[in-house]
Amino acid sequence: MKFFTDIWRSIFRGESLSTDKGKSELVFLNVWLHIHPAKVKKEHMRFKHTFYLGFITFFLFVILVTTGIALMCYYRPSTSQAYQDMKDLQFVVFLGPYLRAMHRWAAHGMVVCVFLHMCRVFYTGSYKRPRQFNWVVGVLLLLLTLGLSFTGYLLPWDQLAFWAITVGTNIGSYAPLVGGQLRELLLGGHSVGEGALLRFYVLHVAVLPSIVILLTIVHFWRVRKDGGLSRPIWKLKGRQPEQELVTIGAPAQPALRATAVSTSKTYGLMEVVTGKPIFETIAPDEEDDAVFAHPYAFFREAIALMATVTTIMATSLFFRAPLEELANPAKTPNPAKAPWYFLGLQELVSHSAFIGGVVAPALMVVALLAIPYFDRNPSRRPSDRKWAIGLFTVFVAANIALIIVGTFFRGPGWAFVPPWVHVVTGAE
Amino acid sequence: MATLFSGVSVSLGAVVRYLVPSVYYEPPQSFKIGNPADFAYGAPSFLAEEKIFVFRDREKGFAVASAVCTHLGCTVAHFQSDQKFHCPCHGSVFAADGSVQHGPAPKPLQWFEVTMARDGQLRVDKEKAVPSSYRLMV
Amino acid sequence: MKNRLPQIFFLLSFISLILLLWAIRQASTPSWKSYQRAFLQLEAQGEPNAAAKAAVLSTPLHIHQVMLTGLQRVDRCTTCHLGVDDPTMKNAPEPFRYHQGLGPHIASKFGCTICHGGQGLATTKGDAHGNVQFWDKPLLAREYIRASCGRCHKEGEVPGVPELTAGRHLFETQGCRGCHKLNGVGGSIGPDLSEEGASRRSPEWLERHFLAPNQVSAGSAMPNYHFSREQARDLTYYMLSLTSEDMGSYYSSVRLIPSAEYGRELFTQKNCIVCHSVGGAGAKAAPDLLGVTQRHSSEWLDEQLVNPQYVYPGSTMPEYDLETNARKALIAYMGTATSDDAQAILSHHTRPVSPGDVSIEAGKEEFARVGCAGCHGRELEGGLPNPNAQGGQVPSLLHISDDYTKDEILAIVRNGRAPPLENAKGPTPPLYMPAWKNVLSEEDIHQVVDFLWSRQQKAKDSW
Repeated sequence: MKFFTDIWRSIFRGESLSTDKGKSELVFLNVWLHIHPAKVKKEHMRFKHTFYLGFITFFLFVILVTTGIALMCYYRPSTSQAYQDMKDLQFVVFLGPYLRAMHRWAAHGMVVCVFLHMCRVFYTGSYKRPRQFNWVVGVLLLLLTLGLSFTGYLLPWDQLAFWAITVGTNIGSYAPLVGGQLRELLLGGHSVGEGALLRFYVLHVAVLPSIVILLTIVHFWRVRKDGGLSRPIWKLKGRQPEQELVTIGAPAQPALRATAVSTSKTYGLMEVVTGKPIFETIAPDEEDDAVFAHPYAFFREAIALMATVTTIMATSLFFRAPLEELANPAKTPNPAKAPWYFLGLQELVSHSAFIGGVVAPALMVVALLAIPYFDRNPSRRPSDRKWAIGLFTVFVAANIALIIVGTFFRGPGWAFVPPWVHVVTGAE
Repeated sequence: MATLFSGVSVSLGAVVRYLVPSVYYEPPQSFKIGNPADFAYGAPSFLAEEKIFVFRDREKGFAVASAVCTHLGCTVAHFQSDQKFHCPCHGSVFAADGSVQHGPAPKPLQWFEVTMARDGQLRVDKEKAVPSSYRLMV
Repeated sequence: MKNRLPQIFFLLSFISLILLLWAIRQASTPSWKSYQRAFLQLEAQGEPNAAAKAAVLSTPLHIHQVMLTGLQRVDRCTTCHLGVDDPTMKNAPEPFRYHQGLGPHIASKFGCTICHGGQGLATTKGDAHGNVQFWDKPLLAREYIRASCGRCHKEGEVPGVPELTAGRHLFETQGCRGCHKLNGVGGSIGPDLSEEGASRRSPEWLERHFLAPNQVSAGSAMPNYHFSREQARDLTYYMLSLTSEDMGSYYSSVRLIPSAEYGRELFTQKNCIVCHSVGGAGAKAAPDLLGVTQRHSSEWLDEQLVNPQYVYPGSTMPEYDLETNARKALIAYMGTATSDDAQAILSHHTRPVSPGDVSIEAGKEEFARVGCAGCHGRELEGGLPNPNAQGGQVPSLLHISDDYTKDEILAIVRNGRAPPLENAKGPTPPLYMPAWKNVLSEEDIHQVVDFLWSRQQKAKDSW
């Protein structure tokens, strides 16, 4: 028996989780979990502050990677095979339709959640110093998420896929100077065909996920180093915003009270410091507010994970992913619509290709990236940021409105047709 | 704990079942080879695509042998002169009943079940191995 | 709330486990399995003893698939339609009934969808029968199934489907090519019909369209040809057969049905009578062919057709590039050819004609072949309505020599012409004269105009 216990102990080296030491060891001895602090303050895990949207987005990504790898066993990225493989997944493969549905709804969910997460980060002012660059990384992750969704959209090779990507890449080709060439590079040809399918596949399963993973690592690391998960500092009792702790590069602040050395606490030497605290530490008098990551944080994360998984599983049971006819370059559906997250752009493009296809998206991206550097207001309290919140809300509402118009109010010929009016389409 | 265990095992089971193909994009393992009248007595008929020999004996009936050498998978040839199967790759020789005479082959040639289908054609099932003495009397 | 966390986590995990089990159950109980179980019950009933019954009932359930690489499709219909090749299931209820009358078209070589339509990749009834959104080839209705024969058997007669030959004949003689292209030849006023059988249009739509084009296709310039119901059906059959089946070599080689009638067609087409005779009628340069099938085996005759030099080194018989079944057809005809036959072919072939007549005859054939009659009428009478064209209709060609020189007409045929407008501000007339210089050779164009000139009715002669 001792033999087996020895084997177990050689793998799991921390002591029992019932002791404080054991709980800490679970975190800092474990390669997968040591991104967490061993102890967290409860204010960092408030559901009503963050809605755990970052976690949910990440868990959706995990679901997408696992279902995606499973689907790769039955999918061939060739124009002569792809559609048949989709039919095989639908009719022949065990759990095929279910896995495909999970993949599709998780993808839509991730686009929605990454957008909501961005809104949340803005509304709570969590992008302000010292977290500016993490916001930039986040915007990059948003663009990559849209890219992943876009590249994946083509893979079923049905009419929906083919024409959505034709429209989408044509919008992109309006970019000045390089638009046309970029489009050809992306498509591996002059139009959507064999080359496009293969390149989109490579982007979708290898290139973009790798970049997302790398940037996610940076994103999580930065959260830790910048002071932990976002908390509503203006609401916490006895705290003034000015008492937010400092980080690298900040002008000199009054040093914290020197910490008393305790004889009952084990200190690990993490870093050589020059007398100023480099990142957030838990001062001894605040130690009572801090709880161990296990189980406080981990259970909450686990619940977020299970809630995400359960929602996706339930949705997939009741709603199957659509599959239209085989892609037919000779037959354009009327109207031909880009994926829903680009419909706002397509709506703009229908008014002016240059404004809608080039200027508007470029401005939006640049504006988003610039937010933390232009925002000089150090306060995160909502009442101090009325203009910022107002402007951002207008931006969000405009985007949503454009997408709603593009989705529901545009019929054949891109004519404005309210959805409650019955549209009679032509014969055949 | 029980939920965790059952959840993990159900998931693993589902994953394995998912990965097992439900259809194979290959020629089927069970197929029809034609009417009994199409096959001559004496020398066996060799069906190249299906890689089988079809023997027809006046007294005893039909037998179907695999033409795939059990050593490394080359297609064996049947010689009328000595009624034996010779493999061109590494020289394995199988006797008339499929047993290994000499050469590197580790196992005898397989014999497959042949039955009469309801439309009067012969059906061979490569997934059903039968002893070398098996015959289908027609 | 906080100390309820483990319970919430447990509850969510439990729910997701239930959802997983539900999904697994759904995936494990597809409808085809119950069909297969029912079929095995039926089969077991026919077994003589309990052991045999048990053996049948224990057959594992699996999806049956026919891979047709030559036809580039995969059919899974036999997953439920398990009795199609089992004669003992003649009276079984559907979907287990035996398929009568297949002949050489067995399921393992041809699948099902090539004739019946439907979605071969599907394994559920509704999807497989194709009456679903996003599948535009549903099962063909019973009265139209025989039209599918024409998808492969595109030449010659098809036994049992006279509609195809009748439809093809109607198409060639009614001048449809004047407005519609078929396999590259024809006009561009109406849609290209080369793939009409593969379009979304249902057989019922096609038939209604032939009977009354404007009622079915609003604003169409296609006139009403007043076809009878039978003619409309024949044309529909022909339309349904117009697909471009991409067939492997096996299917191409057996495409033609080797009938003696088709052999006669080939004999005439290839001008065998120019060298050979049959029972004395014909040329003397090569052997007489009467009774040749009795003197030589079909294999010998086949070799002769494939490689004449091999059989008679130094022979001047050309190598005709004929497919397997075309050769079989010729040989079949050889078995029935008589000297009367040859005489008939001869009389058709060597009519005493002057050089001018040759041109006019050729022009008449071209006129019919490329469909001029479709607009200008079979008797050149014109009269088809053409709104806002001067005169309001397609002109007659019987009096063009009054207003045009031959060169002017040649130019019009070569380059086409938009009709002059009645009202300059009005809409463009739907019918116009297409340019034929890219379809017809210069010689062909001259021949057509020669034909037209031979039909001119002089005004002063008209009484």
